[in-house]
Amino acid sequence: MVLIVIILSSATMYYATTAISNISILSDQVTSLQNALNTKFASLETTLVVGTTDTVELTLDPAQAYDYFGWNIMQQIGGTLVAVNPGSATGTDFVGDLATSWNSSIDTTVWDFTLRTGVKLSDGVTLNATHIKYSFDRSIALIPSIPEGAPATANLGYDLIFNRTEVLDTYKVRFVLNFPFSPFLGILACRASGIVDPKYAPWMVQVNYTASDARASTPLASVGPYILSKWDRVAGKDQEIRLDANPDYWNAPSGYPKTKHIIFKFYSDETALRLAISAGDVDMAYRNVAANDINDLQTNPNVKVWQGGGAFIQYLCFQTKRPPFNDPRVRMAVIAALNRTAVTQTVFLGLAKPLYSIIPIGMLGHSEAFKSLGDANYTLTRSLLAQLGYDENHKLQFDLWYPTGHYQQTAEQSLLYKQALEGSGVISVNLKTADWSSYKQNRDNEIMDAYIYGWYPDYMDPDDYAFLYWAGWLHTNYSNATQVALYNQARSSANATLRIQLYGMIDNIAVQQCSVAPLFTRGAWAVTKPNVYGVYLDITEDMRYWLISK
Amino acid sequence: MGLRSYVITRIILTIPTLLLLLTAVFVMMRILPGDPVALHFEKKATPEAMEQMRHQLGLDKPLWAQYFDYLGGIVDIGYLLQHGYPNLGKSMQVTTEDVGGQIFSAFPATLELAIYSMIIASIIGILLGVAASKSYNSVSDHLIRGFGIVTYAVPVFFLGLVLQLIFGVYLGWFRTGLRISPIVEPPAHVTGLYTIDSLLEGNFIKFVESFKSLLLPSLTLGIILSGVFIRLTRTNMLETLRLEFVTAARARGLKEDTVTFGYALRNAFLPILTMMGLQFALLLGGAILTETTFSWPGLGRYIVDRINFRDYTAIQGAVVVFGLFVTFVSLVVDLLYAYFDPRIRL
Repeated sequence: MVLIVIILSSATMYYATTAISNISILSDQVTSLQNALNTKFASLETTLVVGTTDTVELTLDPAQAYDYFGWNIMQQIGGTLVAVNPGSATGTDFVGDLATSWNSSIDTTVWDFTLRTGVKLSDGVTLNATHIKYSFDRSIALIPSIPEGAPATANLGYDLIFNRTEVLDTYKVRFVLNFPFSPFLGILACRASGIVDPKYAPWMVQVNYTASDARASTPLASVGPYILSKWDRVAGKDQEIRLDANPDYWNAPSGYPKTKHIIFKFYSDETALRLAISAGDVDMAYRNVAANDINDLQTNPNVKVWQGGGAFIQYLCFQTKRPPFNDPRVRMAVIAALNRTAVTQTVFLGLAKPLYSIIPIGMLGHSEAFKSLGDANYTLTRSLLAQLGYDENHKLQFDLWYPTGHYQQTAEQSLLYKQALEGSGVISVNLKTADWSSYKQNRDNEIMDAYIYGWYPDYMDPDDYAFLYWAGWLHTNYSNATQVALYNQARSSANATLRIQLYGMIDNIAVQQCSVAPLFTRGAWAVTKPNVYGVYLDITEDMRYWLISK
Repeated sequence: MGLRSYVITRIILTIPTLLLLLTAVFVMMRILPGDPVALHFEKKATPEAMEQMRHQLGLDKPLWAQYFDYLGGIVDIGYLLQHGYPNLGKSMQVTTEDVGGQIFSAFPATLELAIYSMIIASIIGILLGVAASKSYNSVSDHLIRGFGIVTYAVPVFFLGLVLQLIFGVYLGWFRTGLRISPIVEPPAHVTGLYTIDSLLEGNFIKFVESFKSLLLPSLTLGIILSGVFIRLTRTNMLETLRLEFVTAARARGLKEDTVTFGYALRNAFLPILTMMGLQFALLLGGAILTETTFSWPGLGRYIVDRINFRDYTAIQGAVVVFGLFVTFVSLVVDLLYAYFDPRIRL
């Protein structure tokens, strides 16, 4: 400690000596110090510093971006026709953003929108229907031009869903769809449907990060509460993102955004982020402070913990093309032996909830179908496996895989799954892990018996969950024509009651077939300084920074 | 052999060394499981699309063709002159960015951390090593040796965490991570070293704010590295202090400090210098755990991140640059030998 003090003193002395070598320089320094301090403290009141472990994966082009953080930044600086109402429990109650009203044909193939008037783009041009048409036409045109497709719009199937976009008049636009599609508002509310400014969004050109030019780094029209004023990347990773209040924001007269400046700083891991918020280096820590730190932070008077719902789910996939999981009874036996509650309580300390349907809690169509198999229901497990000749002396053996460094605390989860499964006395689990790159390769090569996977939806609708039971890219080799038919019927119906019934039927078949086992749904949480207000955490997990004040 | 011939020979010998290194990394990366192409796809991972991506990244070519393509890029002088860094290929994860640009944007952070860490490690290590040798077998000798062993053995992330908690969270004196305060604009880029650039800019606030971020990671690395220097200095000083020229110097009535630092330490310094050079070169490759613990955006974090993404070109590029650092620092150390030991004639 003495040495540390000596080193610090020496360094301070050295620089102090250098600084005072010229009295005029010192005088200038003092003046600049005072000015800087005044500016600093004045700006502190209107600046929110956010720490995160996230990063923009690639781009802020709505056609390309396909990551949570990129979408969240795009939500602050861009606009969509509709948006999910903050605080929504279901994720399907929409409010107008750049549109003020809308209606659809009875069969949901034709959708008309009336635009908000007087919305200014960055160069003073007023938003009109041609901008809407250009935005969607451009995104769809980009899909076949890039090897991986324009990831966002390709993954959401824009090229399949949209037939054409028509300009009806200056402020009216029409979407004609290729088939009836009731979750259309959900699609329009997601960031892949962000409206672009043709001046910054060249036709058939993907827009990427441009060093030292934040405006050129996104094609989005500057119609959101903030403008992107700085985006610094070092070695392909974000170092700083700065958002400043958009003076032309259509809702500025109502006092939004409440905080004028948002600065994002990027931490390497959960521990570093937790330390940063504990030390007061940042005003807010969002995505992700580890779940096991939250309980501790809740008792810390220097911070405030915010919790809310979430749409992230985790599930267990089975390789159904070969033994042992080519028999649905084996899959059912394994699912019955799982103990979801142990995981949600032990690993996530109550910040996650057991999930008994592939559709998350709160969302239309959610059921408790898998509850019929129970948790740690060893009677059912033993009975099913006994039919197939498995017992204490001849246990069902398989590999359970989990990825490292991708989802939260998968090692701890998997250990509990193994304990629960082996608690049946008739199952022996061999835990295996791989980094995310190898894990995806293993998935594609179909070498994993059972494997954990996670899902965060592209749009808030059961339509973006139910297909996971048979999704081809999961490589479970499971397919079921009845489930697909029910799914297509549900997505084409605007009748909520009917849709609930249809998704219930899909879940009921899933319980019999057990191609995938829903595990849990995890909520979202944020940690702030006590003087931060207005954090809305709902099922979308969208952080709406323009509502936050300090 | 004259100095110039020696330097030229060393530089020429660098080429096969780097080639060997590059070849080894090239082969190892392709043997490892994992596919950089798979990471670009999720729901739309059709075989056709993945093949097209593989083609775009050049991964559909035979291995030897990929290898020579890569070598051809590195020796592209035109590219080097145009960009200021060698053509190390495009990143396989962020396919629009040059690997060379990525590496050289991360390098200043690593260099700054390495310089300050070495200064701290050298001061602590040499001073304590000398003190231990002067008080051989006394209580203070045992304490210093114990300190050296502990600092050498303690995991860097653990020490970092302890310092973060004490000086960052509880005392609030220093920042727990990043290179400068979140609300302070970094200084204009001249050297890329924030402490230097802020002084060049004449902005004392930025200097203080960057120093507050730099101190804890430097101290962590410096303390960890000091253990090696303590032991090395002590051992060499003990041997040197027994030599006759030290006795002769004392007999001539020179002050003890002059004898210790001017005569004995200078003679005992060569192995320490070698170690300093080696450690510094290693630090330039990125102090992975320290950079991660302190969210320091340097080469260490870059390499880990790229490995996770199986970014072949990025990892190859990082290894080439790292190899160059090691070679350069070794050369500098050899040249410094001549200064510290006049008996050596290169």
